[in-house]
Amino acid sequence: MYKKIGIVGDKDSILPFMALGLEVVAVTNEMEARIGIDRLAKEAYPVIFVTEPVAQMVPETIKRYDNVAIPGIILIPSNQGTLGIGKERIRENVEKAVGQNIL
Amino acid sequence: MKEGKIIKVSGPLVVANGMEDANIQDVCHVGTDRLIGEIIEMRGDEASIQVYEETSGIGPGDPVISSGEPLSVELGPGLIASMFDGIQRPLDTFMKLANSDFLVKGVETVALERETEWTFKPTVAVGDQVVAGDIIGEVPETKVISHKIMVPYGVKGTVKSIEEGTFKVEDTVYVLETEDGDKAFNMIQKWPVRRGRPIAEKLNPKEPMMTGQRVVDTFFPVVKGGAAAVPGPFGAGKTVVQHQIAKWGDAEIVIYVGCGERGNEMTDVLNEFPELIDPKTGESIMERTVLIANTSNMPVAAREASIYTGITIAEYFRDMGYSVAIMADSTSRWAEALREMSGRLEEMPGDEGYPAYLGSRIAEYYERAGKAISLGQQGREGSVTAIGAVSPPGGDISEPVTQSTLRIVKVFWGLDATLAQQRHFPSINWLNSYSLYLTEVGDYLNEAVDPSWAAMVQEAMTILQEEANLDEIVRLVGIDSLSEKDRLTLEVAKSIREDYLQQNAFDDVDTFTSREKQFLMLRLILAFRSISLRALDLGAYLDEVLEGTIELRDRIARSKYIPEAEISKIEQIQKDLQVKVEEIIEKGGLQHD
Ligand SMILES: Nc1ncnc2c1ncn2[C@@H]1O[C@H](COP(=O)(O)OP(=O)(O)O)[C@@H](O)[C@H]1O
Ligand SMILES: [Mg+2]
Repeated sequence: MYKKIGIVGDKDSILPFMALGLEVVAVTNEMEARIGIDRLAKEAYPVIFVTEPVAQMVPETIKRYDNVAIPGIILIPSNQGTLGIGKERIRENVEKAVGQNIL
Repeated sequence: MKEGKIIKVSGPLVVANGMEDANIQDVCHVGTDRLIGEIIEMRGDEASIQVYEETSGIGPGDPVISSGEPLSVELGPGLIASMFDGIQRPLDTFMKLANSDFLVKGVETVALERETEWTFKPTVAVGDQVVAGDIIGEVPETKVISHKIMVPYGVKGTVKSIEEGTFKVEDTVYVLETEDGDKAFNMIQKWPVRRGRPIAEKLNPKEPMMTGQRVVDTFFPVVKGGAAAVPGPFGAGKTVVQHQIAKWGDAEIVIYVGCGERGNEMTDVLNEFPELIDPKTGESIMERTVLIANTSNMPVAAREASIYTGITIAEYFRDMGYSVAIMADSTSRWAEALREMSGRLEEMPGDEGYPAYLGSRIAEYYERAGKAISLGQQGREGSVTAIGAVSPPGGDISEPVTQSTLRIVKVFWGLDATLAQQRHFPSINWLNSYSLYLTEVGDYLNEAVDPSWAAMVQEAMTILQEEANLDEIVRLVGIDSLSEKDRLTLEVAKSIREDYLQQNAFDDVDTFTSREKQFLMLRLILAFRSISLRALDLGAYLDEVLEGTIELRDRIARSKYIPEAEISKIEQIQKDLQVKVEEIIEKGGLQHD
């Protein structure tokens, strides 16, 4: 079954993904970021990529989807390079899931 | 009548021989002290008599005389605001005569005060034809109750004389010309307590009896003419529930039977009730109340009679056209009295030692409740609503008294020890309690209060049931796994439980809630739900809604303390809530759709 993937971030970072068929939501501020992520979640995108700088703008929104199966929010570096928070999140979640830090 | 001789005394049970003239259910005078008893079994010339007074000091050889009459009550002016024991001896005069708080043996009293002068006003004229059940005149018994003097059962004729004036209860007030000649009547009727008073027609009860108790009126209502049971372990709040309904229920007459419970509870009633004002009449509630007390320090057998005495008085006022409520606290003590007598009679015991006829006795009692048209040429509509507390040992409702009761009553208010421990009062468990009158009452209140009443009740009940399911999930996998809508459901359910169902009987305002206020309160809580749901749909987060409405939710929680005269304030809270949530939505920059 075909599943849609969405991506939220600043225009320069995410535009290339359009070519891959992702639903691209370009945002410039907190409000747009929040509405964008919530919209994709509501439209049942199972996976949403969010660039790290945008995720930092809307921690409340990211937290909302922490404990639900769908959508999975995956933080990716922006074109400015990684901030390390995506990896940190994965580490935290793995630790929660298996009970210890195995990464 | 021939005198019998006692051959055996076993606690409250006395066996006498030489009683061949007597009949079962006859009242007897036992021993030289002339203790009052009732024959409950006849074998040949041997009568087994349950004695309503302490039997120490009487023994074999003492005399027993049957009165030849069944145990009866006196019905007439003077019942209201009186306090009687289980066989209708007035307790205040009794205490004066015996000079003691406790029953002193063999003191003979009459039920109705003989010396009081009553103003009697005829409602029929000389020459009128009357039949049993017709009202021939009225006596203003208290400020709120007009006592109707009715033609006794089995009598019919033409009024020969009748006059306005002041009379004592034993004075002749009217004379009828009957087939068997002229008959003079006073204001007293006698009626055997174990027989239901006859009616012309039984009606289907539909109108709710409003009690001012939110959980009862909204979720588990009882109708005028219905029957309800309040089972619960010790300390769960049975007595408080009964007192609350006696105080605030919208029945016109209340009969309160204290049966085998702690003596000081009846003292509470005596101290409290006269000071309480009936919101409907503006007068003391004693002006419409009859008290019957058979507390645990009084003999067991009299308890057995007390609920029959109570319901007979209730039926008498029903026949006048009043709505009557009878409270019995507790029917378990009555059933235990039955068990004790049955044991002493050496009958074959049934479940848990109760006699096999326990179920049919309980049914006989509750079946005397109902809505009916009285006898008489112009039948009147009256009702008896019966509410019985049951005290199952250890709170285990699978025991025989509770089970037999639940087979017959249509309303079950299950009091819950856990809720009582959490100070959730009234501790009526909303998940297992029920009322089979919910549909009728819903229809009635849709008309009388608001067309959305029944739907709102249904919605609130569904939320409480969802809460129970969600609680289960939360226990298994934690609150984080719930969606925001589910978390909102939990919030609303909590509000229904704490802000609506919980009701403090000892708070001046909270103790009583009119149906209009109940409607506004429930609508407010449900409005919080629908307004929040809409905000979530528009993209607001639950945490934002909850944080933004802290102050408003506090006002919702305190709406129960808003006095009846100011209930429009509840509507204001709802308006403010609407505005506040709009703000939250706008602050999020989220668009209205
Ligand atoms: N509606 C209520 N509001 C406040 N307190 C209550 C309420 N119902 C019961 N209680 C508390 O519970 C206590 C026990 O209630 P009670 O009716 O005597 O229990 P029971 O008759 O079941 O043994 C009361 O003394 C009172 O403190
Ligand atoms: Mg009690």
